[in-house]
Amino acid sequence: MITTQELDNLANLARIKLTDDDKKSLIKEFDSILTYVDQLKKVKVSLDTEGRVGAVKNVARPDKVVSTSAADREGLLNEAPDREADFIAVKKMIEQ
Amino acid sequence: MKIDLKNLTIQKAHESLKKGDFTAVELTQAYLNEIASKNKDINAYLEVFADVIEQAKKADQKIAEARKSKSDFSLLCGIPCGIKDNILIQGRIASSASKLLEDYHATYDATVIKKLKEQGVVFLGRLNMDEFAMGGSTENSAFGVTKNPHDLSRVAGGSSGGSAAAVAMQGALFTLGSDTGGSIRQPASFCGVVGLKPTYGAVSRYGVMAMGSSLDQIGPIANTVKDCETIFDVIKGKDIKDGTTISSDTYSTKMVGNKKPIIGVPKDFLKGDGIDKAVLEAFNKSLEDFKTKGYEIKDISLPNISYSLMVYYVLMPAEVSSNMARFDGVKYGLHKDGKTVIEDYFETRRAGFGKEVIRRILLGTYVLSSGYYDAYYNRANAVRVMITNDFLKAFESVDIIATPTAPSPAFKIGEKTNDPVAMYLEDIFTVTANLTGLAAVSLPCGIAEKDGKQLPIGLQLTARHGDEKTLFGAGKDFLGEN
Repeated sequence: MITTQELDNLANLARIKLTDDDKKSLIKEFDSILTYVDQLKKVKVSLDTEGRVGAVKNVARPDKVVSTSAADREGLLNEAPDREADFIAVKKMIEQ
Repeated sequence: MKIDLKNLTIQKAHESLKKGDFTAVELTQAYLNEIASKNKDINAYLEVFADVIEQAKKADQKIAEARKSKSDFSLLCGIPCGIKDNILIQGRIASSASKLLEDYHATYDATVIKKLKEQGVVFLGRLNMDEFAMGGSTENSAFGVTKNPHDLSRVAGGSSGGSAAAVAMQGALFTLGSDTGGSIRQPASFCGVVGLKPTYGAVSRYGVMAMGSSLDQIGPIANTVKDCETIFDVIKGKDIKDGTTISSDTYSTKMVGNKKPIIGVPKDFLKGDGIDKAVLEAFNKSLEDFKTKGYEIKDISLPNISYSLMVYYVLMPAEVSSNMARFDGVKYGLHKDGKTVIEDYFETRRAGFGKEVIRRILLGTYVLSSGYYDAYYNRANAVRVMITNDFLKAFESVDIIATPTAPSPAFKIGEKTNDPVAMYLEDIFTVTANLTGLAAVSLPCGIAEKDGKQLPIGLQLTARHGDEKTLFGAGKDFLGEN
């Protein structure tokens, strides 16, 4: 049901590198899972239904800066795989 | 004094600590001894913390101070517990049983941890799980499966397999697990202990690694319903750091008064040969037990319940694909080099994530992608609301809905690893509580004899939003706790 090209596109969107072996087994598994969940097509629904979980409503916090303590900042930076002073280092993204 | 861990409860331990039968250090050492002798076979704990005795000493100090000032100390002071590996305890490793976070140290406490720390619990260690909570057997852990203490050739269940096995093997007096589609209740069922998934929003998810944000809840696993109630009362509560939390008056719970709650059974859903004979027998016997205790049993209909698993396996992967996007090798965790920044992501994620995690991320990406969004995600969301309405309608005439927790007792290690759908079908009775946000508990209700071993079977009770009280009452009645 799902083509290798479609799977490649998904892997690209999800930023996950897949080997040829990965793709072979994933295509089979996808087919059996999609066949199973496709049974949902039998249900009569209104696609405009708003999702909800019980009485929980979406909330937003005030648009205010919440400061981080020096200790917390240190703890967070320490977990970065590549840290330089108070920065997290990444590869160059923009060509000169 | 040799402490009887098998029959210990939080109340009994508290009283013994009060009377001086044993100290928090002695109690903790008793659990450490059990872990030392059993964990190499069972693999419930990924790590036993090095400072456990230090923690216990601090608890003993609190108890001594209380004794001196003739005051009381908190019920959970000095009580040894285990914590699932996806819950953050500041300064300690939290890996979600994944290679991606193998060396990640939590930079803050989860709200549930903060609350337990205030009580003075002793954290024994972190517990094994399916990687990123994705699985029903703990076979997806990057650090080995957790074996069922009742039969080491079988799984402990998942994804909170370590949490359930630890309690069952007397390796903790209680544990915390997480439940997105049954991950507390199913392993509790397989291991013969009590596991509670609270109402969605009852317990803060702040500091717990998100899997399916509209489905996840943290909950206790223990030997008795009373113990689960005690832990729930401590960890629940509105939290400013989790916008999805509810307060105690969000839902007005129906007053049952002196009458026993009415139990509804969705008979139509229990037909078919997908359910183990021993499970059905134990389930029917449980209903008889309730009848002799004065409960009325009613047949109910949940017309769309047969779609719940399909809804779950569309919505959950969708939420997973979003929640797993944060793991990019930049801010924390494993980093694998590619040639460019973007290639770093591809390499890191392929190297760090296991097969099931990758499967679910891709499935989620698929159902959310343009062209498929309406057919899968939107559709599943609409059916989710229909299923919730089915339950709310049923609760107009009953107070509890009963089913088995899982369609089978613990299966053999490796038995379902080649067929993802077969594994997913294990969730058939548990996902509804996550889709609807209702409170649900698994209670040990019987035994299945297989290959000369006695395998526990679980009974699942579901109640209205916010009505954990009814579950605790019925559960205590059922297990004969006074």
